[in-house]
Amino acid sequence: MFEAHSINAEHKDLIHDIAYDYYGERMATCSSDQFVKVWDEDEHGNWHLTASWKAHSGSVWKVTWAHPEFGQVLATCSFDRTAAVWEEIVGEGSGPEARGSKHWIKRTNLVDSRTSVTDVKFAPKTLGLLLATCSADGFIRIYEAPDIMNLSQWTLQHDINCKLSCSCLTWNPSLSRLHSPMIAVGSDDSNPLLGAKIFIYEYSESSRRWVKAETLSSITDAVYDIAFAPNLGRNFHTLAIATKDVRIVTLKPIQDNMQTGVSHFETNIVAQFDDHYCTVWRVSWNFMGTILASSGDDGCVRLWKDNYINHWKCISVLKGDGTPVQGAETPVLATPPNSSTPAQQTPSTTRTISITTVTAEKPTLTVMCSNKWQPPVIKGRFSKSVWLGNPSEPTPPPLPFIAKK
Amino acid sequence: MTSKTICIAQEGPANALALNKDNSQVVIAGRNVFKIFILLEDKFEEACNLRVGKNLNLNFSCNDVAWNLNDDHILATAATNGAVVVWNLNKQSRSKQEHVFIDHKRTVNKVSFHMTEPMWLISGSQDGTMKCFDLRIKEAIKTFYSNTESVRDVQFCPQQPHTFAAVSENGQVQQWDMRKPDRFFQHFTAHSGPIFACDWHPEATWLATASRDKTIKVWDLSGKPSCDYAIHTIASVGRIKWRPQKKYHIASCALVVDCSINVWDIRRPYIPFASFNEHKDVPTGVAWRGNPQSFLSTSRDCTLYHHIFDDAIRPASKANPQSVALGLKSEIIYACKVKYEPATTARQLSSIMRKPLVTNDDTFCMASSVMHKFTLNNCQPSWFKIAAEGYLLSGNLNDICDHNARVAISFGKTTLGIAWQVLKIMYGDPLELLLKMSPMAPKEDIVNTSNIISGATKNSGMEQSNASKQSSHEHDTKSLQGENPTGAVSGGDDETETETDAPENPNITGPSTNLATVLPRRPLLSDVPSTSRGDFIFGETEYEPVSLEHPSESRHIVMRMEDDEWTKELQKEAFPLRHEIKDRSPPPEQFPNHPTELGEDPTSVIIEDQPQLVVPLLPKPLLFDFTSVILEALEYHAAVRDVQTTVSMLIALGEKRKNLMLPIALQEHWILEYLDLLGKFKLWHIATQIIQLAWIPSISQLNQQSTLIHVSCAACTKQLQRSAWLCDHCHTSEHALCSICNQVVRGMYVWCQGCAHGGHINHMREWFNGNRQCPAGCGHLCEYN
Repeated sequence: MFEAHSINAEHKDLIHDIAYDYYGERMATCSSDQFVKVWDEDEHGNWHLTASWKAHSGSVWKVTWAHPEFGQVLATCSFDRTAAVWEEIVGEGSGPEARGSKHWIKRTNLVDSRTSVTDVKFAPKTLGLLLATCSADGFIRIYEAPDIMNLSQWTLQHDINCKLSCSCLTWNPSLSRLHSPMIAVGSDDSNPLLGAKIFIYEYSESSRRWVKAETLSSITDAVYDIAFAPNLGRNFHTLAIATKDVRIVTLKPIQDNMQTGVSHFETNIVAQFDDHYCTVWRVSWNFMGTILASSGDDGCVRLWKDNYINHWKCISVLKGDGTPVQGAETPVLATPPNSSTPAQQTPSTTRTISITTVTAEKPTLTVMCSNKWQPPVIKGRFSKSVWLGNPSEPTPPPLPFIAKK
Repeated sequence: MTSKTICIAQEGPANALALNKDNSQVVIAGRNVFKIFILLEDKFEEACNLRVGKNLNLNFSCNDVAWNLNDDHILATAATNGAVVVWNLNKQSRSKQEHVFIDHKRTVNKVSFHMTEPMWLISGSQDGTMKCFDLRIKEAIKTFYSNTESVRDVQFCPQQPHTFAAVSENGQVQQWDMRKPDRFFQHFTAHSGPIFACDWHPEATWLATASRDKTIKVWDLSGKPSCDYAIHTIASVGRIKWRPQKKYHIASCALVVDCSINVWDIRRPYIPFASFNEHKDVPTGVAWRGNPQSFLSTSRDCTLYHHIFDDAIRPASKANPQSVALGLKSEIIYACKVKYEPATTARQLSSIMRKPLVTNDDTFCMASSVMHKFTLNNCQPSWFKIAAEGYLLSGNLNDICDHNARVAISFGKTTLGIAWQVLKIMYGDPLELLLKMSPMAPKEDIVNTSNIISGATKNSGMEQSNASKQSSHEHDTKSLQGENPTGAVSGGDDETETETDAPENPNITGPSTNLATVLPRRPLLSDVPSTSRGDFIFGETEYEPVSLEHPSESRHIVMRMEDDEWTKELQKEAFPLRHEIKDRSPPPEQFPNHPTELGEDPTSVIIEDQPQLVVPLLPKPLLFDFTSVILEALEYHAAVRDVQTTVSMLIALGEKRKNLMLPIALQEHWILEYLDLLGKFKLWHIATQIIQLAWIPSISQLNQQSTLIHVSCAACTKQLQRSAWLCDHCHTSEHALCSICNQVVRGMYVWCQGCAHGGHINHMREWFNGNRQCPAGCGHLCEYN
């Protein structure tokens, strides 16, 4: 099954978001410590920190990559009420170290929000260089860079008030011209009396504005994350929702009111799982949209897959602290993630064993963390550790990986 | 003690507020407001309005206010006109103004009483001085010259009452000893911008400073000043106040932008511990009510608030503590907050060490994440990539299907392999099919199957005996065979021709038995061919197309055969299949159309005759719709997110896809999605191949975009506008000179990518026939080919 490697991100506070780039070869992390870090994968699959900078003056909530045809471009959003667009440029200085050195520069700062900007996402590339942000005051803002060569000019094209504090947003990634541009937003407002927490907005070509196409009235609990699955040629849209449980909803366009320019959808909840037994924070699709990963307060990542009759099922459970968890067949461990479970319960087969990297060190990550409230800083940016023996033992500290630059 | 957040609005904004020593009353002071309120359980009660009298001069316009720490009736204000005003609430007159110190030349920013000498008052002014007043002798007893532009805040140190700290707009902190008014005893630059406020920690030797550089810094002044903590906020910080009884907590409010009052834990300097968002404009003052659970604040929105700590928003609780992302190579990255509920080992440890349990406040600042990468340990190469690179997309459909099926099966994707093989059966070249089929299949199988089928179907053919069916079948095959040779000759597309030919060459036949076997077997291609049962099972579905009941169908079959360029031997079986395919696309609709086609073709008549024979053989109704089957297959694969198969099949079908009547937009959608996936895997060559094979203009144009190359003049670096050989800007053609004849090249200019020299293509070719070095004499060994 899966083997776990710890990556020492050296963020000084919570990591709020991780984003792969289009090719899955770069990764960006952002944290409350106001830093954004960019990682590159080497040919052995190890991740190396290649850039790190203070991006905002508040917690950085989300980070996202633009399509590579626009360059190496990141967008971030923050508690400091701004969203920013960053571009990596290759130094052209004459000095030996300046030439070819890459660094990230801020191309623009989008300051329209009056409150924390909670999510930022680039539109599918077929729509051009478009950026959507949503903020805690309930506004969705759509920005466009009219000249894709000039990332410092962004115009605010639309702002949509959805009246509830927004926490997350996702673009429908469909490349079909049969599907109008579509955004789904979720609200983390915890008052169920305020009604639905997920709104679907669609761009109406006729009225040239975004209109609310659908409200998922079945979801009235706070929504923490939302993600459209890659469309891959289907005539309906699939939306994963992280709320108090994991839900998968399909939206099938109903053809009948084409004349109004506003499409309507037949929504179906095709899956609903409360296996996390607690708040689900994140959902994420693989590139094919065949596997959904969800993570919750139980500290586990659960992988979901559907079979040929679209029946979704848990295929794997991964523990966030790197300790192995039994496959999907075993009932979910009810114990809190960091309390160690009996050794017999977790088969050691879930972990690859490599004699050369076995470490006998006993101090565990968990213990160290509780002694000292910042994780141990281990030199070398990435470390891989695989160990033998009782899998219920918490992860030993990663072995230093000497990166050769 | 008030227990809920309450608010009262005023006629003007207050700049400052102060509480009396037992925290039962609050005074607010601003340019147009100067009032005292009694704090009641659930409301403010106005006790006194100090802004009264006939002469409301600038002395009433306050920047700051301080309440005497000992005498409840003494107040001091810092006026915008430079006056420091002392107020006596016990005065009998309406005006409570007791004394005005007009010592400062400019606005006074701050007044502050001494901790232990309640009659001492210190002020900090925009004129850069601080003055200490003694209320008893009503004069400034000391003046401290800061040598800076302006002093923004001044405060006595609670631990060493004879010293005070002053902060100024140049970013400096000064520490003064009251006894040495000539010079500060310590100073350091704390911020890169003006410092607006400072606050001594009530217990530790910490001084907090707040600056326009958006930071709050905590300085340990017990020795050499060191910045122990720095909080980065989102806006210039205007006011700060330590939270009583909470060593690490400090409240701050911004000067601009941010209307909330934030309480920070200095150990976690990134996210406020608590946030109060009641104010609609920036807050101007904060005063704790002597306990950590409540405080008062004024704001530019003219309100006075009494906040209860329990009503605070906790931004950290809304912060997403986790993240998960899936990579392209079945890799999962997961970051989550480290939970500090001690693990059993830790718990044991702590029980041994008798460590106290961590409190809630402490867990707040123990925020860190662990990040893990999960990879599949049996890391197989991605099937998507293999298929993308392995699939054949152009060429003979049979070859494509065979090849692709092999690719799929070799990777263990048996169903996919079968799908390709079925595609081949339905649309592929029957000749190859035939060759592949084992000729040994027993006739009985066929009979069985045909029997069963006939039994199942409602058609008239059911009545017929096995034997008759068989014979009819053979008959059918023969007639088909006859047509084949011509079909092969004519080439696939001409249906009419083949049909006409068919009657003419009736006698070219393979062994009828073989053909017969082939027919039933087709479905089985993917399967093990041996058992008759198996034949039947598989046959059911796949026979359907084969069974020819209707005359129209049989016709179609013939037509199909022609289409696909059948080879002669295969004809019989292959024909039926192909025919059907063609018809398939519009099965119900085409029926009406057929007559016309038939009418055009002389052969059609002949074919019509055949159906009768066929009917007895395989009595199934006209379920033959390949198109619907294919459509279903394509849509099925798209639905299971295998758009790769969908697109590959669509491309492989070549022209036949037209019969599917698929909306172009849908085809485009599929292809675009597939191209996008290919892009993710950097399979540009496959993507390009597909774009080239694409039949949809919007897709085939994809690689014609952005192919324009702009050239610029080598001399002035301006872009060449009109022609490639003359620069509009500097009017030279130097960049376009041929290295050999030194003439301007007006046509094709060839140049070496290595040294950038070049010229007329003829000259260059000649030159490099005999030379290897660059004709310009630069010594570069150019490569010309």
